[in-house]
Amino acid sequence: MHGLFRWSSKWWPGIIPLVVFWGIAAWNSTAPLEADLAARSTSALKDTVLDKTRIEVSGRDVSFAADAFSEDGRRSAVAAVQAVPGVRLVNDETRLIPEAKPFVWSAERDVARVTLGGSAPLPASKGKLLEAARAALGGVEVADRMQMSRGAPPRFDNAALLLVDQIAKLKEGKITISDTEVSLSGMARDLGGREAIAAALKNLPEGFSVAANDLKAPPYVFQAYKDPVAVTLTLTGYVPDNNVHAAIAAAAGRKFFSEKVVDNLKASIGAPSGFVSAVVPALGVLSRLSTGTLVVNDREIKLSGDALYDAALTQIRASLAKDFPEGWQVKADLSVKPAAAPVDPTVCQQLLSELLARGKIRFESGRAGIDQDSAGLLDRLIETAMRCPTADIEIAGHTDADGEEAFNQALSEKRAQSVTDYLVKAGLPANRFTATGYGSSQPVASNDTDEGKAQNRRIDFLVK
Amino acid sequence: MAYLATFHWGWLLASVLLGMAMGWIAVVHRGQGVSKQTMRWLAALAAALVAAALTHVIPGRPGYWLDLGLVMLAVYLVGCAVGSWLRDWVLTRNAPSA
Repeated sequence: MHGLFRWSSKWWPGIIPLVVFWGIAAWNSTAPLEADLAARSTSALKDTVLDKTRIEVSGRDVSFAADAFSEDGRRSAVAAVQAVPGVRLVNDETRLIPEAKPFVWSAERDVARVTLGGSAPLPASKGKLLEAARAALGGVEVADRMQMSRGAPPRFDNAALLLVDQIAKLKEGKITISDTEVSLSGMARDLGGREAIAAALKNLPEGFSVAANDLKAPPYVFQAYKDPVAVTLTLTGYVPDNNVHAAIAAAAGRKFFSEKVVDNLKASIGAPSGFVSAVVPALGVLSRLSTGTLVVNDREIKLSGDALYDAALTQIRASLAKDFPEGWQVKADLSVKPAAAPVDPTVCQQLLSELLARGKIRFESGRAGIDQDSAGLLDRLIETAMRCPTADIEIAGHTDADGEEAFNQALSEKRAQSVTDYLVKAGLPANRFTATGYGSSQPVASNDTDEGKAQNRRIDFLVK
Repeated sequence: MAYLATFHWGWLLASVLLGMAMGWIAVVHRGQGVSKQTMRWLAALAAALVAAALTHVIPGRPGYWLDLGLVMLAVYLVGCAVGSWLRDWVLTRNAPSA
């Protein structure tokens, strides 16, 4: 041992090359060592959930900065780096992401893009939401303004994913989750979209509730355009279902006796209540106009066009005031068509016969009351009668051969009288008209078939 | 330490060989050794450096370099001791026959 001590006093010259070795080793190994430790630290953090992770190695000391999503996660991440072999010190610069209170997340849609904003609890849920938004929206740009925050309610991801699907059904608007309360505003893209969203909201995860649903449906539009040149009635827009569609098409067929009905209606939910009882009378008004347009926009009815004569305009205005369901607004822009030039009685007869060949005056079954659907035809008959003010006209009522002759005779007289009264009410002088009933004595077709009987039940205008 | 050993085994091997060579020479070297006083100072210096390394007071790269230097020095000293002892053993075994 003494020898070792003695020899050691002579070991010093080797220190000189050792220092040289040390210098070379330090010079060469520092950068690879740092790179190796950085790689090992990064792989140690592979399974931890962190955001904005930054690892810097100086010598064997690691500066470790990251945003953690929970205190436990933060501690275990730091411990994982400390446990990396070769690491001497860890400068812990990690922090917890801020807690959001209330925890607000939003998805907003405008013309150009969808913006996801507010807070998301984890990078994974943020990624999932963005992916779901891109999938649901097809080619629409999705902008990400989400920040990471703690404090998300349980099952946040499921709720947000469900709402991301709903944003595709909006034309524009905003969906917000504030803690567990969901609010929606804006306008649905399609008719029925609002209802579809309301149905989907029933599937929100447990604990979530809808605080405000201010979504608006796009206007429910129904349009009818009467084209006097093409002699068509074009129906466009929406009807609630196929039954209503059939009812409206049938009503249009009855009221527009000479026009061809072009039916471009589509069935869609979301109709305002009282749709049929508003649209049918509105079509009745349109049938009395020489040319005109009917636009039903939600609960607003806009009618424009020309009535055939003054009294018709007065009658139409009166019906506009009372024939529509409560809550509906009617805006009418109506005028009277200029009176047509007078014609001689022969032409007058021809015009009247043409009108009655195209359409028939309808009555209530077995009674003398005039059916509302014949108002359009009667207006045209009246307009024509006004063009021959000097001619006297016989209104002749006819029935088919069914039933007792006395009853048919009385019915034909009453019906002829009803028509005469209608004409007089419209402003024609009563002394120009005589109402005559012929019962079934002058058939124009066989009474053996239903078709023939229908032809025999008629009112004729005979210019004297 | 194990990490340093695996990462720098080449340099450590060089140090231990250098130490063994120096230890081998030191036994028969006739030159002037370091005085006892200087030895004490050197030992105190080494102890201070070891203390600095163990307490991690020197940060970053200098801290790493200090660790590396001390490990190499330690391995060198071990090499010296082994080298000297070997030389001494060879000498004493050969002496009676000589």
